[in-house]
Amino acid sequence: MNRRGFATTALISLLALAGLAVGGRYWSVAHVARWTGRQDLGFVNCTYCHGQRLEKLPWTQPRPRHPSPAALAVSSDGKRIYIALDDLDEVVEADTTTRQILRRLPLAGRPFGLALDAHSERLFVACRDADEVVAVDRREWRVVERIGVGSAPVALAFCRTKAGDRLIVANSISDDASVLALSPLRELSRPQTGREPYSVGVAGDGSVAFVANRLAVPQHYLALPESELTLIDPVRGRVLQRTPMLSAHLSEGVATVPGRQWALAPVIKVRNLVPITQVANGWVMSCGLVISDQQGNVLQMPLDEANDYFADPSGIVVDPSGTRAYVASGGSDVVSVLDLERMAEWLYRADEAAKAAAVDDLTLSAEYVLARIPTGRNPRHVALSPDGRTLYVSERLDDSVLLVDTGTLRAAGRIILGPGGLDDPIRRGERVFTKAAHTFQRQFSCRSCHPDGHVDGLSYDFDGDGIGDNMLDNRSLLGLAGTAPFKWIGKNPTLEVQCGPRFARVLMRTSPIPPADLKDLSTFLQAQPPPRWERRRGKPLTPAQERGRKIFFASVTSEGKVIPRERRCHTCHRPPLFTNRLPSNIGTRGPRDSTSMFDTPHLLGIAHSAPYLHDGRAKTLEELWTLYQTNDLHGVSSYMNKHQLNDLVEYLKTL
Amino acid sequence: MTGPPVQRGARRRSSQALLTLAGTMMLAAGSGCQKTAPPDSLIVTQVPPGAQPARPAATLLDQRYPAGSRVVLVPPPYQAKDARVLSQGLLAAGGAVAVPGGTRVYFAGKADAGSAWQIYQARASGGRPQPVTSVPGGAMDPAVTADGSLVFSSPVPKPDGLWSGSNSPALFAQSPGGSPRQLTFGARPALEPTTLTDGRILFVSGRPVSAAGQLPRLGLFTINPDGTEFTSFALDRDGAPLVRRPRELPSGRVGFLAGPHDGGLLVAETIRMARPFASRAPLISEGPPQCTSIGPGPEGGVVACWKAVKPGASEAGSVAVHLLAQAGTSKPSLLFDDPAWDDTEAATIQTQRPMGHISSMNPGKGSGSILCLNAGFTRSGAGQEGKPDRIRVVTLKRGERRVLGEAPVEADGSFMIELPADQTFGLETLDSQGEVLQQLPPSLWVRPGENRTCIGCHEPSNRSPRNQRPLAIAQPPVRLREGSQAVAQQNCPP
Repeated sequence: MNRRGFATTALISLLALAGLAVGGRYWSVAHVARWTGRQDLGFVNCTYCHGQRLEKLPWTQPRPRHPSPAALAVSSDGKRIYIALDDLDEVVEADTTTRQILRRLPLAGRPFGLALDAHSERLFVACRDADEVVAVDRREWRVVERIGVGSAPVALAFCRTKAGDRLIVANSISDDASVLALSPLRELSRPQTGREPYSVGVAGDGSVAFVANRLAVPQHYLALPESELTLIDPVRGRVLQRTPMLSAHLSEGVATVPGRQWALAPVIKVRNLVPITQVANGWVMSCGLVISDQQGNVLQMPLDEANDYFADPSGIVVDPSGTRAYVASGGSDVVSVLDLERMAEWLYRADEAAKAAAVDDLTLSAEYVLARIPTGRNPRHVALSPDGRTLYVSERLDDSVLLVDTGTLRAAGRIILGPGGLDDPIRRGERVFTKAAHTFQRQFSCRSCHPDGHVDGLSYDFDGDGIGDNMLDNRSLLGLAGTAPFKWIGKNPTLEVQCGPRFARVLMRTSPIPPADLKDLSTFLQAQPPPRWERRRGKPLTPAQERGRKIFFASVTSEGKVIPRERRCHTCHRPPLFTNRLPSNIGTRGPRDSTSMFDTPHLLGIAHSAPYLHDGRAKTLEELWTLYQTNDLHGVSSYMNKHQLNDLVEYLKTL
Repeated sequence: MTGPPVQRGARRRSSQALLTLAGTMMLAAGSGCQKTAPPDSLIVTQVPPGAQPARPAATLLDQRYPAGSRVVLVPPPYQAKDARVLSQGLLAAGGAVAVPGGTRVYFAGKADAGSAWQIYQARASGGRPQPVTSVPGGAMDPAVTADGSLVFSSPVPKPDGLWSGSNSPALFAQSPGGSPRQLTFGARPALEPTTLTDGRILFVSGRPVSAAGQLPRLGLFTINPDGTEFTSFALDRDGAPLVRRPRELPSGRVGFLAGPHDGGLLVAETIRMARPFASRAPLISEGPPQCTSIGPGPEGGVVACWKAVKPGASEAGSVAVHLLAQAGTSKPSLLFDDPAWDDTEAATIQTQRPMGHISSMNPGKGSGSILCLNAGFTRSGAGQEGKPDRIRVVTLKRGERRVLGEAPVEADGSFMIELPADQTFGLETLDSQGEVLQQLPPSLWVRPGENRTCIGCHEPSNRSPRNQRPLAIAQPPVRLREGSQAVAQQNCPP
């Protein structure tokens, strides 16, 4: 081919390619407009709708497992300690003197909570994913009984009552507590608790059980949030009292105090209704201790200090004399030692006004905090030897249990369960996620608002876009891989952008998380599956759910009218992630919102992430259509009767 | 090439070694390799014993560091013979601070009698110090923030009338190679900054006074490294007439020197950061009568300078550096004494870098906002001072009070206003008759784009807000602008 021929061919090829590109672009814009029914989108990358496969997502891939210690239980002779390793599906027995593991018991279903009976003959284990409690014979070291309870049991407590021995079990997903009789195990009742019951403590005489709940019950998004302390009669299995803990939530521990009629529950004092204009002085949140008497009268005391904070209080234990309490702060890697006698003295002196204002006074904890003991990464559960001389602390992200001499308040050794998993980026990312040191004065961690990567159920007012504007619901981080962009307005293309300098500026008020840590954090977040995904996957639908599925994918109403494509559920909430990752106007713009276009959230695990809509105004899935539907903009639902709506909700709960 | 092969080989090896050495040196220089001071080294300001400043001293620093004063680095085991002069070639120097890790030391220095005090930088490894500031009126009291920026106070005031005069030093920040940026805009001087481990800048300033001519009591205040969130940190109604040299100490304490205005004795005191307004105590229970410096010491201890009295000696010797293993509880021991000098200031080089801070300012905006949750919430309790009906904002213009405007107080006591940035302002709560209920004389400021919040007026310190949605944020903030008229000060409860 001569030079002219070559040039002509090249020119024609280029023109053809350009024509193809321009034509392709026109075709794709028309394609998007046709299949979404929207003319405003313009060109959209193919991957928004095509090529999404759950099997490719990080959270469906196998991941390394770690011997992360959860609950601890010490035998009545103090010689043995039992450690739940939920990630390995094991419970182990260790010698408290030699600190060596003696026996391992495989136990499927993520064993998380532990309790021993009065003579330490039986060990009871709450298996979080199996929805059951198993009884292990200590001598034979085998499972001798098992019983089904509510969904996701995470904690249990043994008590003796005049009517016999009891186990009280906190079922974190079904929002109830199982009251079990022993020998044989049988469920006496399953009373409703608050939202996400997470720990149980029982009075020494077995007269009352205290169940602390992690999340506030959804109410109006501008109302004062309240989580619940549920008081249960262990004999009859009935609720005695439902005590609201005002502006307090994420309670992960509760302990009763011998000699006093107190139950103590560490909480996060959240201030979500106040604009986040600053972090100093606990403006976003601080940590406190709820003190309840046996009638459910509560008051709150601070755990933090004026210029230092002890984030994510979790486990609590009180010594046998009732004079000291030990509180593990998972975000700060610290155990705080509280002098309960000094606290009681202060309460005796204080008038009602001082008691009511106590939890907001950051200088008060100096009255009764004896020491802050440094620990390994993410201390969560605590236990004491029967004589109160040794404190055991589960260092969850170090794979170890710390022993503390309570006389000297110094570390006395460790039970090593594993190497710590630092070669695993998911584990490293979880360390970043739980580390409060990235925030000004260590006030909170990512986990403080996203317990276990999920939601705290509250809405917040960030000041970056104006005080009082753009109130935003806290979204779940579970199952978010593949759902970029992030943020309710879909502004951030990656998790690194979402959690990087922008986050440091609006929330942490410190230097941004270093890039290597940010990468690990992103890896960790993308490895988190939607709640209970494996249990729902492939499960056949009930007739109601099947009817709901048909409504979800319907293109015509039951009256035969065609539903415009842009208002069909599955157009925006497109499987398999149930989002097309594009912003939409569903008519929910509030008077202080700066936009009408909000990111389309994925629906995987949506049953567990109330409240709903960008500002959290809908307390339930039903309210999306009964209270907040606006001219059929958020899907066409005006034709549905209540049964159809219920069916639709039933189907959504299977996602 | 001539000569035997062995010689040629040796020559080649020598030139290779020389080339390697030169390359290494070039690499080291290029990568900014800097020698650090040995761990736990002391940075000491030494003043010639009995030196008197020229009468009258031109500035506060001429009085504090007379001619001949110098800054030295003393590595462990703290022998006078090991002291290395860092302020070589300067007429006088003092007030030194090292960057974390100890590669560089900043101090105030004066090149000659006719020049102004400026901040100098010296390498810990030695060499002549270089000036890093060149600001009119001079600069003093260097501190270093987490990002390596230099913070200092400027101008250097005259020795008398600092707190009553109009020559009011402010704090400035200067990035390496950058220009100074003003951080404080209050009506009172801002002096002696130091960086806390949480990243804030702690400094000394005067509390506002209600009556004209009244001398202020001094307190400790904090700002973020960008000048936002000006906050009272410690010393409130118990503020001393003179407060100097605040420094964060180990074990969650802040130490400082306190004394009377008239040049009397300065005593070392501490406060606990856990309850800074209610934990003031002497550093040493039976302490020396006069202390000239306090700072963090080696191995979690505290170093303080005072005149050493040798056992059996009838008279005090020179000012020396003492070590307390723990503030308030242990007996001090002599750490370093150079008998030829008064060692008036000392601190060990810190290894821990303070926490960084990302600015929330919007430099393109000319205003900032103030949201108060409840103007009726005071130290006396909610509503004890009367029910505020509106808020009046006053500012200072050439020493004259001017009203910027008024804004309504909502039923829950909240108000929200938008104000010009970087301008001193004060607040007055008024009842429905226009009578002043509470008054805060002009002493605050907001930075561009800053959203400031408070829980009340004269509210108790170290309080967290109640979790409630203030009514004032239902509407945009009330915008107040300059151009209002001057007003006379009204009497009101302090």
